[in-house]
Amino acid sequence: MLDQILQGLMYPFMFLSLYFQVFLLTSFFENKKKMKKEEQNTIINYPTVTVAVPCWNEEGTLAATLDSLLALDYPKDKLKIIVVDNNSKDRTYSIGEIYEYNNPEIVKVYKEIKQGKHHAVNLALEKSTSDFFGCLDADSSVTPQTLKTIISYFENTSKVMAVTPCIHIRDPRTFIQRMQAIEYLMGVFLRKTYGELDAIQVTPGPFSIFRKEVFNQIGEYRKAHNTEDFEITLRMHKAHLKIANSHKALVYTVGPDTPKGFFHQRLRWARGFLENAIDYKELFFKKEYGNFGMFTLPMAFLFVFYGFYASIFSIYVMVSSIVNTIQRWLAVGVHLRMPNFDIFYFNTTVMSFIIMLMLTIFLVVLYIGNTLSDDSQEFYRNFPIFFVVYPLFIPFFFGRAIIDTFFHRKNDWILQDTKEFKQNFEN
Amino acid sequence: MFETKKYIFAFVITTAIFATAFFASTFFSDKRVENVKSIQDNIAIDILSSETQFDLLKEVPCGNVSDSVLSPELNALGDKLSRTENERGATDEDILYLKKYYSLLEIKDYILSKKLAEKCGPAKKPVFIIYFYSNLGDCADCEKEGFVLTRLKEIYPDLRVYSFDYNLSLTAVDSMKTIYRVKSSLPALVIEDKTYTGFKSVEELEKLLPSTLKVVSSTPIIKKILVPKIIPTKATSTSTTATTTGGSQY
Repeated sequence: MLDQILQGLMYPFMFLSLYFQVFLLTSFFENKKKMKKEEQNTIINYPTVTVAVPCWNEEGTLAATLDSLLALDYPKDKLKIIVVDNNSKDRTYSIGEIYEYNNPEIVKVYKEIKQGKHHAVNLALEKSTSDFFGCLDADSSVTPQTLKTIISYFENTSKVMAVTPCIHIRDPRTFIQRMQAIEYLMGVFLRKTYGELDAIQVTPGPFSIFRKEVFNQIGEYRKAHNTEDFEITLRMHKAHLKIANSHKALVYTVGPDTPKGFFHQRLRWARGFLENAIDYKELFFKKEYGNFGMFTLPMAFLFVFYGFYASIFSIYVMVSSIVNTIQRWLAVGVHLRMPNFDIFYFNTTVMSFIIMLMLTIFLVVLYIGNTLSDDSQEFYRNFPIFFVVYPLFIPFFFGRAIIDTFFHRKNDWILQDTKEFKQNFEN
Repeated sequence: MFETKKYIFAFVITTAIFATAFFASTFFSDKRVENVKSIQDNIAIDILSSETQFDLLKEVPCGNVSDSVLSPELNALGDKLSRTENERGATDEDILYLKKYYSLLEIKDYILSKKLAEKCGPAKKPVFIIYFYSNLGDCADCEKEGFVLTRLKEIYPDLRVYSFDYNLSLTAVDSMKTIYRVKSSLPALVIEDKTYTGFKSVEELEKLLPSTLKVVSSTPIIKKILVPKIIPTKATSTSTTATTTGGSQY
């Protein structure tokens, strides 16, 4: 009976998921020519750009981040790098000073006493006099062509107010990072397709570049439930400011390397998403906000709940099967049997057909994500880890985020985890 | 820009995919039922043939009677019926029909085996377990007992297990329940005309089974079957019959 109820509830969600996949795939292929054309974009006039690097205890990674920025293939007289140290207890500020000393025309270092990433970025914003402003988390790095590729989007489309890059996990080593490497491939596809639909959901911390006038128009960064990058995206959509994605502008970021770190980061993201989405509920189902208000935002909101339910259902099915096997073993001992390949026993339920199709589409999406940028990832080794491990996390961070949001529980405890406080700075 | 056409287009495609999945699933499910029906029909013919053979051989020595009077398909049928029931649900009308038919075939097999034993004596006496179960959620140990019987069948291929759904509304099954005084306490097992209730492990059942079974099982069961020329029927088969399979109740 419980099986039937749980299965019955899955169908409307499966329909919505499939609809979501079909809609995105058709939109992607519809815009493929345009994407190819975008790749030919060039720059005639190089505008001035400021990149802020907010830091908190980043002595281990800051130098690599600054080196990658200084290696950008961009006129040096048009580039400014502002390092903002937010009360680090290590050598972060000194490292920044060394770079400032060696590159006085490009690098500036400041201290921000008010604690919080948004304060650090806002200080850089205040100091910036450039036409364009962006941020690069201190654990991330760019390729020499990244900035040029992004700026070319602004050059070719006057209406574009912000451009997001293509993000990959840098050097994934642990199984948690390998799992994220696949997840980020999905992000490559989603960000690109959302970009074509004017429905980008987040201008991520690692190297999203804005026209400076955006901040004059909508104001500076806010704390925004520790997800300031999502909140500013909502504000941009509310002000009808266009955001694009540059799939060839590569940025590498470090993903959490432990299950606990990953859980904390995703809980912060999920909670921040729910809280901010509720704060901006006026965007939901309003035609004036286009595909973002009518489709991607409501879908993302619904999928927090669906993701929670679907993963609970999957775990229930998995546990039932394990319990059944253990019961059999307890009753008769362990006797391995050959699987039955008779076609009669193939699963031919509606659910199995739809799941197979959705999985196929998902693989197509990952393939697209892996080929869109010029750096393909180690797919065959990482995918099995993603496929098995990722669903196990979903009910925990989505479930916890839902409960915390609806019971108004404070989630600052997450940031008491030093690593997560650092992650908050970095992603 | 919001384009309604795009959304409708995606909706039409999604609906078409769902409809196709639904029709494909129904098609394959119906095919499965047809397959089970067709196996049952074959078994019915086999049983009729065996009964006829048995009648014809009344005057013939027992040595000429084949060890396996039934179609070996009855064994696979249990598996397939169980699989189909899992997919369509125990209350599905087709499933109920197939289960009734299957139960009747089992009873026929059981009667025939007994007749054979009466005519030819202990040498031809089959060893069988009659098993009553319920899948209404009121028999906690039935699933476990199913695993045990399946395992037992693997160890002793000559063992016949006749499984009956206690709740199946069929007079022939009711008669079996009356004959063996099976009450609602399940699982119930009948071995050597004695009824046992409650879960029995593989070891416990082995102790209850006649020792002859083990001797028979330890030797190859392939045996040349002598069929008189007057019977135009397929002749060879092993002595396996309906069983419980993979935790299923058939």
